[in-house]
This record gives sequence, C-alpha cells and structure tokens, in this order.
Amino acid sequence: MQVIKVQKLFQKTLFGVFALFGFIGVSTSILLIYTVDSYLTEEYETNSAGIAQSIADSSVDILLNRDLSALQSLIDQFVEIQGISYVYITDETGEFLAHTFVPGVPDQIRNSEPATNSTIQRQLPGMGDFVEVSRPILAGVPGDVHVAMDTGNIALHVQRAIGRQVYLISIVFVVGVLAAVWLVSLASRPIGEALTYAVALARGEEEQAAPVAGILARKDEAGQLARLFLHFYRHRAPSTPSTDGTA
Amino acid sequence: MMRDRRSLISAGIAGGLTWPWLRTLAETADSGITDTEVTLGMSAAFSGPSRGLGIELYRGASAYFDDVNYNGGISGRRISLKIYDDGYQPDASVNNTMQLMLEDRVFLLFGYVGTPTVTRVLPLLKKFQDQSVFLFFPFTGAQPQREPPYGDFAFNLRASYLQETAGLVDNFVRIGRRRIAVFYQADAYGRSGWVGVRTALARHGERIAGEATYSRGTQFTATLRPQVEILQAVQPDAVICVGAYAACAAFARDAVDLGLEVPIANVSFVGSENLLALLTEGRDRADSERYTRLLVNSQVVPSYEDTSIPAVLEYREFMQRYNPAVPAELVTESYTPFDHSFVSLEGFLDAKLMVEILRRLGDEPARADLEQAVFSLEDFDLGLSERVSFADGRRQGLQQVFYTVVDGDRFVTLNDWDERFS
Repeated sequence: MQVIKVQKLFQKTLFGVFALFGFIGVSTSILLIYTVDSYLTEEYETNSAGIAQSIADSSVDILLNRDLSALQSLIDQFVEIQGISYVYITDETGEFLAHTFVPGVPDQIRNSEPATNSTIQRQLPGMGDFVEVSRPILAGVPGDVHVAMDTGNIALHVQRAIGRQVYLISIVFVVGVLAAVWLVSLASRPIGEALTYAVALARGEEEQAAPVAGILARKDEAGQLARLFLHFYRHRAPSTPSTDGTA
Repeated sequence: MMRDRRSLISAGIAGGLTWPWLRTLAETADSGITDTEVTLGMSAAFSGPSRGLGIELYRGASAYFDDVNYNGGISGRRISLKIYDDGYQPDASVNNTMQLMLEDRVFLLFGYVGTPTVTRVLPLLKKFQDQSVFLFFPFTGAQPQREPPYGDFAFNLRASYLQETAGLVDNFVRIGRRRIAVFYQADAYGRSGWVGVRTALARHGERIAGEATYSRGTQFTATLRPQVEILQAVQPDAVICVGAYAACAAFARDAVDLGLEVPIANVSFVGSENLLALLTEGRDRADSERYTRLLVNSQVVPSYEDTSIPAVLEYREFMQRYNPAVPAELVTESYTPFDHSFVSLEGFLDAKLMVEILRRLGDEPARADLEQAVFSLEDFDLGLSERVSFADGRRQGLQQVFYTVVDGDRFVTLNDWDERFS
C-alpha cells in the first residue's frame, strides 16, 4: 500500500515561505532605498557646501591678487575628489572665471540666473543629474563658487546596496526553502502514514495497513491519532444492515 | 686626572678645527654638490601624449651640458641631471620634486615642463625656502611662477603666455580679425592662456567670442568635433589654441574637416614640430597644406633655421655633435626625436644660461648664493639678438615673441600677417 502524500500542507507552507521572503525583501529594499538615498543626498549636499565654502575662502586672495590660473589649479584639485562633477567660479557680472567643463560650459548653466548661497538640482542633457551648491566669495563681491556632485552616483550607490541585499536575501531564501521543504516533509510524513493507516482501517483492511503500522509506536500526535483510529476500529458498533442490504 | 683633562682639551681643539670642515662637507654633500659633480633635478613629461615636450627639452639641454662636461665641467665638476618622468601629471610632479629635494638632494630644480605641474610644485619651494631650493627655467609661460607669492622661488628665461597671447591678439586685431575664440586645455595652463587672450582683447575693447575646452591627455586619435562645433557657432575670425600638440593637432584637423576656415594660432608650449608631424604624416602635399596653411604658432625662441643667430648656430652644431638620447629607463613609449625643434632650442638656451649662473657661483657653490649669481646677469649675451638681464623683481630673462607659419614641412618665421591671413 502506498503512503498518502500531504500535498496541500506542503503547498501552503511553501507559499507562506515565498510570501514571507517577498515581504521581507520588498519592505527592507524600500527602507534601504529611502535610507541610502536620503543619507547620501544629505551627505552630498553637505560635502558640496563644505567644498564650495572652502574654495570661496581660498579664492579671495587669488581673485584679488593673483592670476586666474592659480584659481583654476585650485578647483582642479577638488574635481579629483570622487563624486565632484564640476566646479565653476563666476564674477559679479556672471562671467566664468574658471571652470572644469569639457567641451564647454553647458548652455543651461550659462543661461541660468546667477545663484548665490543656494542648493539647486540640475538636469544637464548628456551629463546627468546634479546637486549644485553655490557659495559667495567675500559676500559675493568678487564672485561666487559653484560646486556640483552627480546624483547619479547616489543612484549607483543605491543600486549597489540593493544588489547586495538581493544577493543576501536570495541566499537566505534558497536556504529557507530547502529548510522548509525538509521540515515540512519531516512533519507531513507521519501525518501521511496516519492518514494511510486510517484509510486502511476504514476499508476494514487492517492487515493491509501493516507497512505503516509503525505509526502506532510514535509518541507524537500522529501516533496518538493512529492509535485513536485503531481504537475506534476495534470498538466500533456491529454493523447495521442497510435497507439496500449492504453493510 | 690631569691626563684626562689634557685628552679632553686635545679632543676639543681637534673637534674645533675639524668641525667647520665636517660641516661644509655635510652641507655640500646634502645639496647636490660634490668635488666632482653638481646635480640638477628635472621632472618632465617623458611618457604620455605630451612626451615630446619633455624629451625635446631634455635633448636640447643635454647637448649643452654634454659639451660643458666634455670640456671639464664647471670648476672641475661635471653637470649631472637627475631626471624623473611625471607624464605631465601634477601629482607625479609633486612626488618627483619631493624625491629630488629630500632623497636625491639635488642642487637646484631645472627644466620642469608644464603649468599644471609647476603650479603644484611651487608651494613646495616656499615650504623649503630656508634651504634655498630654486626652480630654473620651467617650460611654461604661466604667471604663478612669475608673481607673488611664489615668484621668488623660480627664474624664467622664456616670455610669458601673457606676452605670447597679447602678440597674437594684437596682430589678429591689426589685420581686422577681431572676433577671437579660444580653444584651451581645461587646467591651469589653459586658463593662463585664456586670461592672456581675455586681457589682450579687453585692451582692444573686445571680449572672447567663444570658448571650448578639452581634457589634458587627449590623444590625436580623439575627436574634437564637439569643440569645433561650439566655436563654429560663434563664427570667429580666428581661434587661439592653448594646449599640447596632440589635442591641438586633432582640433586643427577637425576644424578643417568641418569647414572652420580661420587662422588657428598656437602658443609655444604646443610643440610645433610634433603638431606638424601629426597633421602631415601619411598625407600627400595638397592634403598636408590644407590642414596646415592657416596655422600660426607663437615661439619664445627664434627659428632654428636662422643660422645668422650665433646661439642657433651653436645649438645646431652641438645637437649634431652630441645627439643626446633620453636615458633608457625613461623610455616607455616610442618617440622619434627631431634633429632640431623649438623646444630643444629652448632647452639648449636654458642650459647655456644655467651653466653661466653656475660658473658665477665660483669654486665653492652654495644654494644660498644662487639668487645673487642670477641677479649679477646684466645684458648677458646668450647669442641671441636680445640680451638677458635679471634683477630683484625681474625674474624673466627674455621678452621677445616670434611668430611662425608652416611652409612645406617646417615652420618658418612669419613676416607679413596681412599677406598671409587677410
């Protein structure tokens, strides 16, 4: 006699595991995106502001006393810092005194209103999205410093963080599914045996249930259930003939 | 007890007598001077797209130093060049300078190449000003080594970019080409030239018509069409390029290809022969002429073809006699040197003046006396039409700028701007 498999329980458990991991994955990813994005945006803005202020402070002497190549050399050093996309310095008339653009100052920036002491988001076609911080040099009299960081880097960082998390969750998921399959099969096997035993008794074929009779020796609930079926079978009322003559 | 005291006195006397000698030895040994050698430190581009500049400058300088060494050196000391390759990169230049100053302990720094490199090195010279380390004759016309706060730590031979660009602008304006655009390297060098053009145009009541930039290290194989298109949009009468030969040649090529048919000027740093080679190699005569006929390059030394100039004659003779090669350990990329070039002529003149300064230091050279030795140069005859003078507040030896155009396969002196470009 073949042991009956407990398919429904198996499916529901696996579905539960899938649903749980899905929920964990999606919710932690949303939280991660929000946290990394807001943290990095704040970090970029703070860094840009710090660098812009630093250049503004260093530029006063250069603008008033020295050649603009010294100013260019100064901003070139900052562009080598990872994350800084461009730096430019304008004078009080809006003329670009030094900048790091190649092949030239983008029209969107050249034609935009002069900004002082502000933080703006810029979208430059062909270049990307940027957060641009402006700081005045000596109260804006000689000019302003503008420092921009590529927010595309933030998206990149978020993607990397999400990628790492998906990788981790995938590993945990596979391990979880294997564990769930093993545990469910461990739990469902005696239930299946008890069910097989009960079906055999119901058919009045106690000797047919011999392959799964080991279930009676189990101390757990499946064993108790099997013993209960056996008890009912042995102490069942004598069968009453039915009206159509069948037992 | 008495004996001990005598020993102590004897030791004291001996020490007192030998200490000044030991001190002098320590000082001279530490400052790049020995009884047989004076060591100069050089950091320049020997690799990368601008390697031609470092190599040519080195070859010109070496030709003169080789001759001095061949004839016994200076006061019996041969001149030795300690060289490092910086690839025209500022950080490498700073590291090389630290090595030269602190580890190699050279007597002085000589023949550095480039504005972005030199401007980064200048603060180091200020930091070590108590050791009187000076930079002699850098291959750049930028202002930072000519002005406070770092001007006191460098001596220049060549004319400045302000003088070169002013001359170009003045000549263009004179022949009616007033709308002048600038194509420049996006760094301190490019900005230096940009400032020169802007300042010169302002004197004529004009502004820069348009500008486009490129990144340092751009190769000739790169396309510079976006830059050409930016400048084409402002319809300039002329373009002044402030860059290195690979990028400037690529710009000139793309400008001609896109129909920007205006004079294209380059300043001396470009490396004229390398520029010309890139534009003409592998092309027939007509094609070569198409790409080069509108070029005009400013130079800070006279034409090396003009053998009526004594220094040029000497330069050609020494280049032929010694034909210096770059040390093998610095050769990482192929390069075919030119027999003669404006850059190597400049290196030659730098070395000639350097030797004169070292001679003026006498038999016991000391760094502390270098400044005085330079300032003693007054109307010194370097073999050019212009005499060289230095003084406190005058740290640039030559002021003259020359203009050259392409004639066949070489640059020749431009005598008539109207005839060429009107």
